[in-house]
Amino acid sequence: MIERERVFEILQGVLTTSGADQTEAIFIGNQKGLTRFANNSIHQNVAERDTSVIFRVALGKRVGVATANSLNKGRLIDTLKEAVKIAKHQVENPHFSSLPSAQEYKRLETFFEETADFTPEERAERVGRIIKMVEDKGLQVAGALSTSSGEIAVLNSFGVAAYQPLSAATLRIVVSSADSSGYADSLCRDIGELDVDERTEVAIKRCLESKGPRDLKPGRYDVLLEPPAVGELIEWMSMIGFGAKSLQEETSFLSDRLGERIVSEKVTIYDDGNDPSGIAMPFDFEGIPKQRVYFIDKGVAQGVVYDSETANREGKTSTGHALPPTSHSGPMPLNVFFAPGDEGEEEMLNSMRRGILVTRFHYVNGLLNTREALFTGMTRDGTFFVEDGKVKYPIENLRFTESMLKALSNVEMVSRERKAINAWWEAVGAAVVPSLLIKDFNFSGKTSGQ
Amino acid sequence: MKDFMKDSIKGLKRKGVDYADLRRVESQSQKIGVKNGEVEGITSSQNAGFGIRVLKDGSWGFSSSAVISEEEIERVASEALRIAAASASVNKEKSQLSEEKPWVDTYQSSCLEDPFEVPLEEKTELLLQAVEAMRGKKIKVAEGILLFDREQKLFLNTEGAETEQVITQSGGGIVATAFDGQQVQRRSYPNSGGDFATKGYEFVRGLQLVENAERVKEEAIALLSAPEYPGGETDIIIGGSQLALQVHESCGHPTELDRVLGTEISYAGGSFLSLDKLHKFQYGSPLVNITADATLEGGLGTFGYDDEGVKAQRSFLIRNGLFVGYLTSRETALILGQRSNGAMRADGWNRIPLIRMTNINLEPGEWSLEDLIADTKEGIYLDTNKSWSIDDQRLNFQFGTEIGWEIKRGKKVRILKNPVYTGITPQFWRSCDAICNREFWHIWGVPNCGKGEPSQIMRVAHGTSPARFKKVKVGGQR
Repeated sequence: MIERERVFEILQGVLTTSGADQTEAIFIGNQKGLTRFANNSIHQNVAERDTSVIFRVALGKRVGVATANSLNKGRLIDTLKEAVKIAKHQVENPHFSSLPSAQEYKRLETFFEETADFTPEERAERVGRIIKMVEDKGLQVAGALSTSSGEIAVLNSFGVAAYQPLSAATLRIVVSSADSSGYADSLCRDIGELDVDERTEVAIKRCLESKGPRDLKPGRYDVLLEPPAVGELIEWMSMIGFGAKSLQEETSFLSDRLGERIVSEKVTIYDDGNDPSGIAMPFDFEGIPKQRVYFIDKGVAQGVVYDSETANREGKTSTGHALPPTSHSGPMPLNVFFAPGDEGEEEMLNSMRRGILVTRFHYVNGLLNTREALFTGMTRDGTFFVEDGKVKYPIENLRFTESMLKALSNVEMVSRERKAINAWWEAVGAAVVPSLLIKDFNFSGKTSGQ
Repeated sequence: MKDFMKDSIKGLKRKGVDYADLRRVESQSQKIGVKNGEVEGITSSQNAGFGIRVLKDGSWGFSSSAVISEEEIERVASEALRIAAASASVNKEKSQLSEEKPWVDTYQSSCLEDPFEVPLEEKTELLLQAVEAMRGKKIKVAEGILLFDREQKLFLNTEGAETEQVITQSGGGIVATAFDGQQVQRRSYPNSGGDFATKGYEFVRGLQLVENAERVKEEAIALLSAPEYPGGETDIIIGGSQLALQVHESCGHPTELDRVLGTEISYAGGSFLSLDKLHKFQYGSPLVNITADATLEGGLGTFGYDDEGVKAQRSFLIRNGLFVGYLTSRETALILGQRSNGAMRADGWNRIPLIRMTNINLEPGEWSLEDLIADTKEGIYLDTNKSWSIDDQRLNFQFGTEIGWEIKRGKKVRILKNPVYTGITPQFWRSCDAICNREFWHIWGVPNCGKGEPSQIMRVAHGTSPARFKKVKVGGQR
């Protein structure tokens, strides 16, 4: 960790050399260790230390961006000069108004020393325990345990000075037998919250329950989706429809539907970077505090997240959801919450007359028809046929093809319990989601024959 | 610094490692995005660092850093050793590597016109012109992108290998998104996400983005009023760019030997191509020949040496329809009693090499595209990928394309929107009954192949020409 004062000192020292009208520096520091295992052995075990700085400058409305992964002052000054050079050769961006002015942020505890200081030996010890538990059952395990620490800082020439230290621990486990597999995962900022034994037991149990899968004819079934399955769907919905760019370009499933009831009133989805029950992060990559933004409130389409540029296009203000300026993807919600329901997961299962329990999905794709949120994907690592409130038998993996608007319209029950689900942006957010009981979910195919 | 790095590798050898390598990677890139007549962004990036991989007592450790200094090299080497020891404390099996010649060589990819020397204004103007030509009524978004990358890489290992490579990559593409108040339809050129090669700016000039913009716009608009295919089994001809994606997902990934051996199972998944299938499994029809060829000039998966120091090579994965080979590393090849075919590639200095695709190609057949369409009584011509999904064993796939053309009595008769086709990998490839010839063959660059934890993005490519498949399940979108 370089720490706030030193980071600010380095960046300020470079910002003062800028000849641009407006200058912004984003610092991203990262130290990560990851131990990967498969076939009851550690096969990959890695560590990295990296720091990158992104400069965004404006000459009037001409904007340039340059980045380097160095803290060497000379290199940073050269990188800043490169950003200015790009801006000089740019055409004006009419939608660029200004970098933000000084802001205040909520104080959030997002850094835990125990996670940051976790050693390769400690990771190996945990992984060794996982392997032992699985081997004792005559099974195989694969997965990854990672611990990381990082720092994000945003400084600009108008007084923004944001800094947040972060830590994260992630665990992913797939336990396999010859004809079955079971899954468990975990994501937390404090490694002390990671119960490796409990997670391993969950994956082992699911693997054993999955043995001897039978064929089930594809078709429409009631479905109980566990949090990892729901999380992947919500992640895709965030990418294709919860950002202002998709709304402005008419590709979002919320386009032309704001204010309308679009799904079941049991469904409330929002983004809140300041909620410590998720993987919190108080500001975005422009240094703007994150606001709570409702996408769907009790079934009614409410809105999307904005960064400065997309907000300026509509005469609005940013909601604090900018990605780094190296991205052209527009604003994105990274801290999405699906509001909990009243039911327990057991109660939800008991209420199913005939249906399918899905542990997780594989290779979901949400680009078939984004305005209808039409998704496809496969089940994996534990799919079961349920009858009269009980898991009857495991089934072979199925492909689903379904509109999420339709699926969320058919939500019958939402669990009280929720879980933070790993996404690729693990250090700065996660989807916190419940289990969902959905009627008439469309399974369009299955894997059969080679 | 190179001498110090060499000393560091020698030091690791003295400490009794089974094997160690060091990679220093420096890269520069430039991204230009244009949308609806405005420059969406221009970004210039520089990145540098090094990583040291150690095999000690049969277990792996890797550490990496962005700070290239003597002190940091020593720290990283020590940390890699420490991590390898931590791995060894758990492992019962020991990793070993197949034999490899310690190559000492340099390699530079072909680059006739340095893309970083072409004035920014000229590159931006090219995109602005192409985008302008796509704008108009019903076009909600007209956009284009150009990407350039240059990577300089030094590789050293304890066996005496010392290679230095400079690889330049260029490419881009344009997209028109049409909107009629209710639905959105998109057409991309030359491929969804663009097309890329290990070439210089001459590759971008050859794309003819401006010249194709009007057609792209017209097709996007035409899709708005096009019907959907009602659904059912029919013959399909898959255009080159979509076939590249098909090869990628259903031939490239399942032949990665690490997937087969289960070491990717927790994230990207496994493969149905178990070891017992090698030289015994009928993967496709006798027409189907799939090669892995890292030596193809200009392919995005072309290099001189892989990230284990293995020289680039060409090998068959599927020959006359029979499954005959995997993509391998030195460690996995040894399990088969083979030598590596050079498929270990890392996404930068801070990642370990994994088995990755190089240029994975469907070798050309004998048909002309005109003859193939004329020979098709009823079917659909499908092109340009829109959505992709395949199961964790690489068997059950569903791919959507931007556009389809209904074929009746040997002629393309009308455009179809939202086509989706689905199948089971070997059943699908066994139904291949015609492949177009080299005249229609193109190496499609795919710059965004994801794999591994921490995640890695790899640039790969697929040489393909259009091919026909019999009785494939095609739907609208359900």
